[in-house]
Amino acid sequence: MTTENQLVVENASVSFSGFRAVSDLCLKVRAGELRCLIGPNGAGKTTALDLICGKTRLSGGEIVFKGKPIHRLSEHAIARAGIGRKFQVPSVFRALSVRDNLHIGHSRKPGVLANLATFGQSGDTEDIERLAELVGLEDELDTPAAHLSHGQTQWLEIALILAQDPSLILMDEPTAGMTAQETKKTAQLFTRLGGRHTLIVVEHDMGFVRDIAQTISVMHQGKLLAEGSITDIESNQAVRDAYLGSGGIGHA
Amino acid sequence: MSNQGNNRVPEQIQEKGVAVFRPELRENEELERFRVSVKNGNALARTKTEIALYAAVCLAILLVPVFLQDAFLLNKYARYLVFGMLAVSLSLSWGYAGILNLGQAMTFGIGSYCMAMMLKLKTIPVHTGADGLPDFMVWNNVTELPWFWTPFYSPLFGVLAGILLPAGVAALLGWFVFKGRVTGVYAAIITLAAMVVVQLVIIDQQAFTGGFNGITDLGQFDVAGFTFDAYGSSSYYLVAICLTVTLFLALAITKSKAGLIVQAIRDQEDRVRFFGYDVALYKIFIFSVSAAIAGLAGMLYTVVMEFASPTFLGVPLSLSVVIWVAVGGRQSLLGAMLGALIVTGVQGALSESETFLDTWTLIMGLLFVLVVLFLPQGIAGAFASLARRFERQRPAPKQAQHAEPIANGREIESTR
Repeated sequence: MTTENQLVVENASVSFSGFRAVSDLCLKVRAGELRCLIGPNGAGKTTALDLICGKTRLSGGEIVFKGKPIHRLSEHAIARAGIGRKFQVPSVFRALSVRDNLHIGHSRKPGVLANLATFGQSGDTEDIERLAELVGLEDELDTPAAHLSHGQTQWLEIALILAQDPSLILMDEPTAGMTAQETKKTAQLFTRLGGRHTLIVVEHDMGFVRDIAQTISVMHQGKLLAEGSITDIESNQAVRDAYLGSGGIGHA
Repeated sequence: MSNQGNNRVPEQIQEKGVAVFRPELRENEELERFRVSVKNGNALARTKTEIALYAAVCLAILLVPVFLQDAFLLNKYARYLVFGMLAVSLSLSWGYAGILNLGQAMTFGIGSYCMAMMLKLKTIPVHTGADGLPDFMVWNNVTELPWFWTPFYSPLFGVLAGILLPAGVAALLGWFVFKGRVTGVYAAIITLAAMVVVQLVIIDQQAFTGGFNGITDLGQFDVAGFTFDAYGSSSYYLVAICLTVTLFLALAITKSKAGLIVQAIRDQEDRVRFFGYDVALYKIFIFSVSAAIAGLAGMLYTVVMEFASPTFLGVPLSLSVVIWVAVGGRQSLLGAMLGALIVTGVQGALSESETFLDTWTLIMGLLFVLVVLFLPQGIAGAFASLARRFERQRPAPKQAQHAEPIANGREIESTR
């Protein structure tokens, strides 16, 4: 495993009609690392993920992925470079079956003509069923995604990202709406993913963060406030101050 | 992980609470239909049934002339079939890709004019001598054939242009609309406006297009010495065969992975983008295929009607297509086609009968309102849910185990 930085965010800034959602954010993530991004509401965590995956454009700074600047590429080009994104509000294709959803997630050949000549699952069947089993949806393969429960929808989207198989996965509140058991299973899954994939996880559930995090980055008012292990962060006075308004870090 | 997966089912049942899995709720007729979980391979079986159904309908259409020799009726039915083809094209872009094209008649009209120009040039030696011009050009003091008319001396060019020109125009329009990420109602308005512009240009350039009168008094379409008579079974077969081919081609596209991606774009455009698919390119593709089919339909319409008119690019026709597709079921190609046949058929019958001479438009309007209110997925959707109900009545093993979380299903149904 290489220890060089896979993703480097350098002085990233963006403002929405005057409001600086992210200002001079610097973030370095090594390949195979599992990084948690925490911070009070409005700290700019989701915006930071949006900047990396191209959903929002930088107004200053740069983002380098695997040694290449990506902040000027279009969204699909960034995705093809190997960045996958899970959204805060689970977004899956509700009218399509779980199987078809996973089939679309499997996007190694993104061209129109190549996909026009692809029928059925054509070779992906095994991959798709293995993934469905991994997230406990093996009995729901032919169910329309609209009929899944909230937790299952979250997992389906996680499975979609795994089908895409990007080297960097951005997860925005993956456990929102999950039960305690489901959250625990998600933590296990993420720990297994570390090493093979680089993960950046935005999360509010501190129990979950404790379970999975190697390094935690704390954001506050669009800036990086602190970075370190869970014990460093919990004893950091600046972090405690920042979280005061939202009930302390333990309950955030 | 896999044995954990097996443990999960009882775990989940506990978590979701009793209310969701209460047996009396499960017996409930209304809620029963959310129980759709099926075994692997059912998707393939469903595709096979679909192909059989499409084939049966196409066969029935192809057999009509065997039992019906009335030339006038055959011509009328061929016209309905052309409308069916137009409906298939809109179903592709609206039902599958979510692009509501209010200007579907634009590409239909372009195809129609291509065919008319080609057939018009065939009549020149007969009417105005070997070096002559189309009659309306003579009346408008045009002295030589405009450059864009000359290639239409070649029938092959005419036919290809009738398909490729609409596709090209749609691709160009789509490039601006979809690369610019214009969606929803704004895209619909642009398609409508584009159609009106093309129609105005055609009306305005009377010297080259025949203006309001369109292009009339055409030669007959022939392929390798075989002539298609507008009032005969040959033209009917031509339309029916083209319809069959189009229907199956469109079905193949929707069943391919590209078709799946297009449907995913309809559901969640952003999600598709972040998997690395170029969303705009997929939309341009399906928009152009839809336009090509509409263009082909337009050409056939000229063959059957024996003229081309600016009304073929009109707002009334364009909106009618939307109604046919909505009535038939926009998410089913066959449904959309049958919707066109039914609506135009009923429309024809009503407008020709003396009893409804004054009221037939009202009746059509009422029919449309009723369908939109009570059959949101159109006739095809109603049949699909009937089929599901029928399927349910056959005993399925271990069905209870596959029961859906019912409350969840209901919430989803209402948000659709």
